[in-house]
Amino acid sequence: MKILVVDDFSTMRRIIKNLLRDLGFNNTSEADDGLTALPMLKSGDFDLLVTDWNMPGMQGIDLLKAVRADENLQNIPVLMVTAEQKKEQIVEAAQAGVNGYIVKPFTALILKEKLEKIFARIN
Amino acid sequence: MIEDEELITDDNIARVKDLLVCMEKGHEEEAIEIIDELTTIRETELYQDMGKLTRELHDAISNFGVDDSISIMAEKSIPDARERLNYVISKTDEAANSTLEAIEESIPICDNLNDQASELHTSWQKFTNRELSADEFRALSKNIEAFFTKTQDMGTVKDHLTAILLAQEYQDLTGQIIKKVINLVGEVEDKLIGLIQITGAPQVDESKAKDDAAELDGPPVPGLAHKDTVSGQDEVDDLLSSLGF
Repeated sequence: MKILVVDDFSTMRRIIKNLLRDLGFNNTSEADDGLTALPMLKSGDFDLLVTDWNMPGMQGIDLLKAVRADENLQNIPVLMVTAEQKKEQIVEAAQAGVNGYIVKPFTALILKEKLEKIFARIN
Repeated sequence: MIEDEELITDDNIARVKDLLVCMEKGHEEEAIEIIDELTTIRETELYQDMGKLTRELHDAISNFGVDDSISIMAEKSIPDARERLNYVISKTDEAANSTLEAIEESIPICDNLNDQASELHTSWQKFTNRELSADEFRALSKNIEAFFTKTQDMGTVKDHLTAILLAQEYQDLTGQIIKKVINLVGEVEDKLIGLIQITGAPQVDESKAKDDAAELDGPPVPGLAHKDTVSGQDEVDDLLSSLGF
């Protein structure tokens, strides 16, 4: 299972990577915004994208839309982990095809639950 | 304004009486003299009053500039505050990184000891059940010996925990810095209110004051009004499930 973690704060990427490792996902890569993430997604065979929303360069929502618009990437599950709590934005992410939405601050248990839910849907 | 009491004085009443007498007697020159005298008195008071008003106006204007706090704020305090806040970012970043580092180095040690301990536990249970051969028992003794050596790694874990403890000092330092900036924001607020009062408050444009729906809010802050936001993961889940997720 290859996972790409996208967040502009390195500490948040590190936290997510550690939590993922704890859940048994050791193969993770990092990107600091959508612009860096998109080429990585296109060239690597990632099985899951975990992304923040508010980032400089390309925001998470635009990355999600770009992924869904790309025929090679459109089926990658996307989990959004963000501080944005406006209903309007959650609805927008849902309409753009997000597979899970976690609001910061979050717990290891919530991450585990959402990942299990995503994988249960896929299988 | 000139008070009536200042005009109606015994001296002035005497002057007016004199004036009446002069006029009745047809002493024009003397009458003009008295009128001039009265006018001068009145003008002097008027000038004094205007002077007073001018001084008050001058004081009000210069009070604003005299404690040149606005320019100090603009040229010094606000750039300083920016530096201070940048320092807060670097301090919290540093603390988070050193904490994460200590944790990342401790986790494998804990995992390793945990694995070895549970292996030993399994062998020990076999031993107490008399299921262990002599060779296996020798291996177990060796493993126990090795495990005791390995537990010395707990010293490293303890060092990391101390490092994590010390990294929390950022809270004190950044707390003090942020408090200073909060005070500055308060001062700027007071000055702005003063300025608005002097210049006359313009009407607030509702469309500008409303928060922009398209703009990202960032983390919600308790105590501040957030319209149309969810609070916490449960409400996110409820909203998503209402959308058919």
